[in-house]
Amino acid sequence: MLGKLLKYEFKATARTFLPIYGLILVLAIINKLFWNQSIDNFEIPRMISMSVYIMLIVAAFVITLVVTIQRFNKNLLGDEGYLSFTLPVKAHYHIDSKMIVTLIWSALSIIVSAVSVFIMVVNPEVLTQFSRMCADLAEVYRQYGLSAHLIAIEIIILIILGFLSNIVEIYAAIVVGNLAGRHKLLAGIGAYLGFGIVEQIVTSLLFSGFNRQIEEYFQSFHYSNNLFPAEPAEVALLVMILYTAVFGVAFYFFTNWMLTRKLNLE
Amino acid sequence: MAWDLKSDRPIYSQLVEQIQLMVVSGIYAAGCKLPSVRDMAAEASVNPNTMQRALSKLESDGLLYSQRTSGRFVTEDVQRIMQTKNDLAADLINDFIQKMNRLGFDREQTVSLLNRMIKEEGQNG
Amino acid sequence: MDSILECRSLVKYFPGCLALNSVNLTVPKGRIVGLLGPNGSGKSTLIKLANGLLTPNAGQILVGGMAPGVETKKIVSYLPERTYLNDWMSVQTMIDYFGDFYENFNKSKAYDMLQRLHINPGDRLKTMSKGTKEKVQLILVMSREAQLYILDEPIGGVDPAARDYILDTIIGNYSENATVLISTHLITDVEKVLDDVIFINMGNIVLTSTVDDIREKEGKSVDSLFREVFKC
Repeated sequence: MLGKLLKYEFKATARTFLPIYGLILVLAIINKLFWNQSIDNFEIPRMISMSVYIMLIVAAFVITLVVTIQRFNKNLLGDEGYLSFTLPVKAHYHIDSKMIVTLIWSALSIIVSAVSVFIMVVNPEVLTQFSRMCADLAEVYRQYGLSAHLIAIEIIILIILGFLSNIVEIYAAIVVGNLAGRHKLLAGIGAYLGFGIVEQIVTSLLFSGFNRQIEEYFQSFHYSNNLFPAEPAEVALLVMILYTAVFGVAFYFFTNWMLTRKLNLE
Repeated sequence: MAWDLKSDRPIYSQLVEQIQLMVVSGIYAAGCKLPSVRDMAAEASVNPNTMQRALSKLESDGLLYSQRTSGRFVTEDVQRIMQTKNDLAADLINDFIQKMNRLGFDREQTVSLLNRMIKEEGQNG
Repeated sequence: MDSILECRSLVKYFPGCLALNSVNLTVPKGRIVGLLGPNGSGKSTLIKLANGLLTPNAGQILVGGMAPGVETKKIVSYLPERTYLNDWMSVQTMIDYFGDFYENFNKSKAYDMLQRLHINPGDRLKTMSKGTKEKVQLILVMSREAQLYILDEPIGGVDPAARDYILDTIIGNYSENATVLISTHLITDVEKVLDDVIFINMGNIVLTSTVDDIREKEGKSVDSLFREVFKC
């Protein structure tokens, strides 16, 4: 059932994203062509195509956020909710499918932006620089051995988890905002800010509570022979992963509970 | 024939009467196969359960019969249909006489009035 | 076990409002039942509870002997009062959607009904009039071979000519032995297709009876009885 939900979630959102991705790539190519022309008085078209390109990149990210909110709001809390919630599907699959699809579009937006930049700047010189950078990175990676793998994996997990946790935080805020009779959008934004404040408070309480232990832990390492020890980074990342996960899971269960227990479609 | 259902009497008994009428007036002739319950219900815009009940009643009265495999038929017994026709006629006449009675006509007056009207109608037409 | 919908001391309240006041109700299989009541009587609340769109505060609601959930949603075909179609889809996509999620959805039946109404399956829902959307929705709901059809105001928004068509579609297409629960305030139009009626008011069941019993005992239509019971 999750697979089917994902299929229709993709269909519903692809109509928005694919054309933008296409345009970004086309504009990147146009920019590239314009730069390579050594014709005089070509500044204005160059400027125009560059600003359109930048606007599209900004639009891609803004639209990712807007679509995230709008799909959840419309498909689950609006009239379409009458169909979504009478499908023989557990409510959490709706959250899962929307979360996964948003994650994938966000990743694609980043990849497409990176590719478009690459298209514009690519030339032999940049390529050599790029390969040198890769080689440097590989060297550092080799020096750290197993720890490097661990840190890389931890960073990837942290990024994905951070993303997902942010998405469910938005969902939770939308559901809370939906409880308000009027000004649902405003209430939703208020709820989102409220969640942020709660997170801040929890974070600062934790930091001030464990301040001394944290300092002692980091001072216990010797920083020698211009190679930072890997362990504190590993541990710090792990703590951040756990911290993000706890909040993410809390928001996820909260949203699911609200959808199944407290939802009253109009 | 259009189905005409009044809103203040049970639908079931009205269906029974109207199907009887269709049979005696030859819309559904003796031995003729009836449409399915669902189709008849849809045609009359009534509930299939109610139509089913009306048809079962007519079956137990002997005006219709059903064969398990091929459906429901009007009886081939013409005598039986004539009897229904006479019963319906008798009901109508009784009803008429009662109403005339309420107007103050006794039976003989009613009959003579009826005769006179029929005669006049014959002259005019 | 011959009831399809059962409420046992069912209570639902909202802030400042008791929507259902300890309702006991049994709806048998194979019947067409009218759920009749004035606005705000608790009809919609009852229907939402049966569809698992709300959860009871106390008591139980059972569909086919089960509390609302994934299993009951498989056997209930629900037509809400509003259009719930995904407007970016074409009718065809919508049919695929129903076919993907509901095992008892009969695609060929749906295409058949569309053709009879001259609705082009390739058309996008966005471009359709409200009336056409409602017809598409009814077709989708009636093309499921469900055990319980719950139809909330199916003839509310359409003209009298279309009402007959809709009622004919309902009685011509519900699957055998299924129960149809129709909620409406347009009683005159529906009473001839009903077996039973349930009168509901202020969260209480006021009366349950068969239509013919009402006509026989009271000598009046369900509509007139309704007007009497709910006289202001």
